[in-house]
Amino acid sequence: MADAALPVESLAAELGAIVGARHVLTRPSTLLAYESDALPGYHKRPRLAVFPGSQDELVAVVRRLAKDGLPFVARGAGTGLSGGALADDAVLIGVQRLRRIIAIDAEARTATVEPGVVNATLTRAAAAFGLHYAPDPSSQAACTLGGNVAENAGGPHCLKYGVTLNHVLRAHVVLPDGELVTLDRGDQGGYDLLGAFVGSEGCFGIATELTLKLTPNPEAVLTMLADFTSVAAAAEATSRMIAAGIVPAALELMDQATIRAVEESIYAAGYPIDAAAVLLVEVDGPRAGLEADANAVSEICRAAGAREVKRASDAAAREKLWQGRKKAFGAMGRVAPHLVVQDAVVPRTQLAALLNDIASIGERHGVRVCNVFHAGDGNLHPNIPYDANDADESARVHAAMQQIMTRCIDAGGTITGEHGVGLDKLPYMERLFTADTLDAMCTLRETFDPARRANPGKVVPLHSCREWNGLPALRGGASS
Amino acid sequence: MVRDASGGLRIRGAGTWMHVGAPVIASQELHLDAFAGVRRYTPGDLTISVGAATTLAELDVTTRAQGQWCPLLPWGDDRGTIGATLATATTGPFAEALGRPRDLVLGVECVDGRGRIVRAGGRVVKNVAGFDLTRLMIGSWGTLGVITEVHLRLRARPSADVTLMVEGAASEAMRRFVHGALPPLAALPLGEGIARTLGHAGPGSWLLRLGGNAEQVAAARAALARLGACLELAPESWDIVRRELAPEPRAASWPWTPLMQRVRAAFDPRGVLNPGLLAERAA
Repeated sequence: MADAALPVESLAAELGAIVGARHVLTRPSTLLAYESDALPGYHKRPRLAVFPGSQDELVAVVRRLAKDGLPFVARGAGTGLSGGALADDAVLIGVQRLRRIIAIDAEARTATVEPGVVNATLTRAAAAFGLHYAPDPSSQAACTLGGNVAENAGGPHCLKYGVTLNHVLRAHVVLPDGELVTLDRGDQGGYDLLGAFVGSEGCFGIATELTLKLTPNPEAVLTMLADFTSVAAAAEATSRMIAAGIVPAALELMDQATIRAVEESIYAAGYPIDAAAVLLVEVDGPRAGLEADANAVSEICRAAGAREVKRASDAAAREKLWQGRKKAFGAMGRVAPHLVVQDAVVPRTQLAALLNDIASIGERHGVRVCNVFHAGDGNLHPNIPYDANDADESARVHAAMQQIMTRCIDAGGTITGEHGVGLDKLPYMERLFTADTLDAMCTLRETFDPARRANPGKVVPLHSCREWNGLPALRGGASS
Repeated sequence: MVRDASGGLRIRGAGTWMHVGAPVIASQELHLDAFAGVRRYTPGDLTISVGAATTLAELDVTTRAQGQWCPLLPWGDDRGTIGATLATATTGPFAEALGRPRDLVLGVECVDGRGRIVRAGGRVVKNVAGFDLTRLMIGSWGTLGVITEVHLRLRARPSADVTLMVEGAASEAMRRFVHGALPPLAALPLGEGIARTLGHAGPGSWLLRLGGNAEQVAAARAALARLGACLELAPESWDIVRRELAPEPRAASWPWTPLMQRVRAAFDPRGVLNPGLLAERAA
């Protein structure tokens, strides 16, 4: 594994010869920015950071590291929320200089891009063709498509349009040992190794080039804000919409704590501050029939107890409603210095019960939980603003989060819907999956990376991997 | 049985795929009949868990009663099982609009070639916990694991659902319609043979399915009426089309890359699952 004896200076010089000396960082002061991602409370210093400027340079860097068996961590914009891009004494490979949009094929509705292209940049480039890239994480103005693929990122509009997995058609990948492979969905035969790669959190290799699906812009969009006097009523309206078969483009819930934080910030969107919860509902598609969909949404909200259902009158009003939602995490920055952004998914019929339990868990631990989440998918984001320098408060936040995750697992849900396991969720993996299943995940990782050098120590707890000895795992006295 | 297998195992659902692919070198057949039936169905969540040997017909009857469907509607016959549909990643005429197996499966339970009981994914509609063994199993033709149970995403049936035969439409005009603002669930150019089977012999005809709310479907219908002569057919026409036009599966012509060979060797090191089916020895 890592050759600790290899001096950082000589490695830096060799990598500098590949990418240019100024694109290699070794000094602790310059590495500081790469010690964390968007998850608070974790700091890991990379051994050094290297930023290739072309696909060839990226491949050459990976091959150089393979020669000495050095561990590495790929990083996009560092907006991840699970600690996935933290490099503990490993080499950090930043892809943000690989930002070429190689081609947009408007007829086939595809784009071919390098992994460092920013999500929103692709949508802007596609706009000229009446197209957009559908997955829209809240960090889309900063996050990279390579990072999106590694995390299988979601976003509000994934309710109707699907997550990153559903929008990746092909990936060129450099495996940790330097081998170049092209992964696809297996449409022409072959295992769906593209499906395995998407969401592998940087543990299977680094994408050098991605072919992505572009989505036609809808002919019309209607955005509504429904305002409720109880969170349970908003959750109930959500469950009823899903059960009725309405598929809004997006269906987001924000509770009172979130509404207040947004309205007191520069992102004020005009949400009613006395509401216990609001639903932000968007329907889109052909102009014909859209009014009928919007009316159905309004009726369901009112029947579930909404005080008012407001409609954005124009594009500017719609933008404002969305701004509050997308900047809600930022707005919470005013409330406390740190923020835990959690991520879990539960069956959509259980939303109201879960939110009620989350509120009691928060009260029991004396912490303030703010909910702002993709209600239509059952994808919760219970967030807690706190001060990480306050040891007592940090401990209470941690305990509350643990109980919330346990409650979500017990409800038949999962521990992450779009942020990934990274470092943060490792402790829950053994609660969620059986030992055999975790072992099979280790097997899959080892086919891509036998030495486990890519993003070591993430996603699956190391002790869950049985020693691979080339023999079948026989149990219960069975013999072969 | 996988753990104890001394020779090859031939995996069998309803037996509708057994003629496909290269010859399997197997001493025993592994019948999955015991893994049939609905395990858990919560209509309000639009998710269902069923045994792998559940037939597509049973899945359709169960979900239809709640105004829902599993919109895979693959090429072939509804006597086939959901397990085989996923194992072969069989798509159908609605795949572009409504999703492929990889888009509609939330999780699978399987026994891999090393005898491990793997419970991949889950029952919720969004899930990125751990490495994606679900996508790995889909389309692997049973050579990595035997699927025993699946968790599926369902959709509400569209409130308006109309099947039309359109005759005399110019193909460029039809292409523009399909890629336009009112995309159909499916649009299929029909040869003379299948057109006759459906009871209409016009040349250059298309079969379309429109779905959505009543206004959307009416608008799409009006647009189509300007392109050619429209005849409404029963939705069951699609069952005939799926049976009659099913393409030959490509099992035996796999492009075996070194990475794929490593995956196969890692998950089924003794080569007990459908050995030979994908002509892996020749690779």
